[in-house]
Amino acid sequence: MHELPQNLANGLFLGAMYGLIAVGYTMVYGIIQLINFAHGEIFMTGAFGALAVYSKLGANVSIWLALPLMIVGGVATATLVAVLAERFAYRPLRNAPRLAPLITAIGLSIFLQQLVWGFPGNKSARVFPQLPGGPFHLGSVVFQSADIFVVVAAVLSTLFLAYFVRSTRTGRAMQATAQDPDTAKLMGIDTDKVIVIAFAIGAVFAAIAGISSGLRYGQIEYNMGFLNGLFAFTAAVLGGIGNIYGAMLGGLVLGLAQTLSAAYIQYIPGMSQFGSQDWSGVWAFVILILVLMFRPQGLLGERVADRA
Amino acid sequence: MTTETTTTPAAAPAAGTPLLEARDVVMRFGGLTAVGGVDLTVNTGEIIGLIGPNGAGKTTFFNCLTGLYVPTEGQVRYQGQLLPPTPHKVTQAGMARTFQNIRLFHNMTVLENVLVGRHTRTKEGIVSAILRGPGYRREEAESRAKALELLEFVGLADKRDMLARNLPYGEQRKLEIARAMASEPGLLLLDEPTAGMNPQETRATEELVFAIRDRGMAVLVIEHDMRFIFNLCDRVAVLVQGKKLVEGDAQTVQSDERVIAAYLGTPMDGAEAGTESTTSTEENQ
Repeated sequence: MHELPQNLANGLFLGAMYGLIAVGYTMVYGIIQLINFAHGEIFMTGAFGALAVYSKLGANVSIWLALPLMIVGGVATATLVAVLAERFAYRPLRNAPRLAPLITAIGLSIFLQQLVWGFPGNKSARVFPQLPGGPFHLGSVVFQSADIFVVVAAVLSTLFLAYFVRSTRTGRAMQATAQDPDTAKLMGIDTDKVIVIAFAIGAVFAAIAGISSGLRYGQIEYNMGFLNGLFAFTAAVLGGIGNIYGAMLGGLVLGLAQTLSAAYIQYIPGMSQFGSQDWSGVWAFVILILVLMFRPQGLLGERVADRA
Repeated sequence: MTTETTTTPAAAPAAGTPLLEARDVVMRFGGLTAVGGVDLTVNTGEIIGLIGPNGAGKTTFFNCLTGLYVPTEGQVRYQGQLLPPTPHKVTQAGMARTFQNIRLFHNMTVLENVLVGRHTRTKEGIVSAILRGPGYRREEAESRAKALELLEFVGLADKRDMLARNLPYGEQRKLEIARAMASEPGLLLLDEPTAGMNPQETRATEELVFAIRDRGMAVLVIEHDMRFIFNLCDRVAVLVQGKKLVEGDAQTVQSDERVIAAYLGTPMDGAEAGTESTTSTEENQ
């Protein structure tokens, strides 16, 4: 079991990123029972929004000055895309059968990918700026500035969201809408507004994840949202879709499963060919299937009957 | 319209001015006319009853009033203003309701349920909530105090931290009333508030409704329990097959032959049964 601490740390960094994206899936699902398959593309547009701001600033601006502006740019782009998507793609289908918005989401996902791809220079991966400093050593674990960024962002975002949902007026309205939208309306809650806020919060988290991804891997691509979105959706289901803590937990479990399986499966006798990085996705889904066999509601999910 | 000599509530401003005016409300679902042209006026300080056999359109009429349904025809005015057919705006305008089948937010605490009811009467923005500005904290504290006062009023103050779904049935009904009152309505609509209650609980609910009226809220109540309705209401309207059959004080309604016919079928042997209020009480389950 050599390099276990390193692998655990890598799993944690990856998982934090999945968790940030998964929050968006879970919030939207919790309120309108829509699986927003375009959410991976929201994540992607967040990264591209940040890169656009960086390009405008020019290369001689210090990254520490640029980073906050990039975050603002990325968050603004992703939120705008998400709010427009809600307004023009999903809201007209609010009372349609559930399959209609689902297909719309898939269509929107392809549309957004192709839209970004259509911009000159976006046909292949774009270089994303790097954070200076590092590598840092903590015992035998080595990590980069970007890893610190993603962990801090995930922790702060989750704490903020927990506070927001539990103790603010809008958060309470959100819980009420998730539990019974019709009654919430009759109690004076503008549920359309609540739904927009849910999309917006999901987009903020996704944009931060998108920037984290750019910083960690050094490049972004128009189709980066596809696989990451799929894994994050898996994380949301794994944790119990509809539960924001579940999304984070699911993200961490999935990140660890991928990293650890890539590192160690090959040492199990007879399994050496199943252990490479290429197989990590397979193992992630094996974990998902196992969890859902024994806990169909996910790790922290409620029984479906409770939501009725 | 016979307005009975009621003890004028202390808090109600100028009792007797029209609060809710529904004019010729029609609600059709495809070929089915659920509500066929109902007029109803509720004045400040009044308790009005709405009765009728099952399927008479009482709840549908409520849904038209509260914006859940958009009436096919007709108008609903509240304090002279045409009501927008959007539930949250109706609540904002000053009407709140409870439900025939309890619809609490089951996974929230008792106090949180009432706080949700206060949504339209608080206006903190997201930014100030995140920054926890002084305005936000003051408003939150104020809201909490008002919510607790209401829980005290309905007798649930000591259960404020329980999950709503763990409350016994009768108390869930009380909580629904507290939640509706939290939006500080001028008119409270109660949809079968005593359904499934035993006689003592029904009596207690009666007292509660009087107490609500004394706080200055007018009440419009749907009920099947005739004794409850006739004890409580200043006026009673009878809805049969989507149409208003009779409206008047308890005496008028109880002795109206058409009402008896609607409830019991056309009498074969005279109107004997009509004089006793017990007859109509018994037939309700």
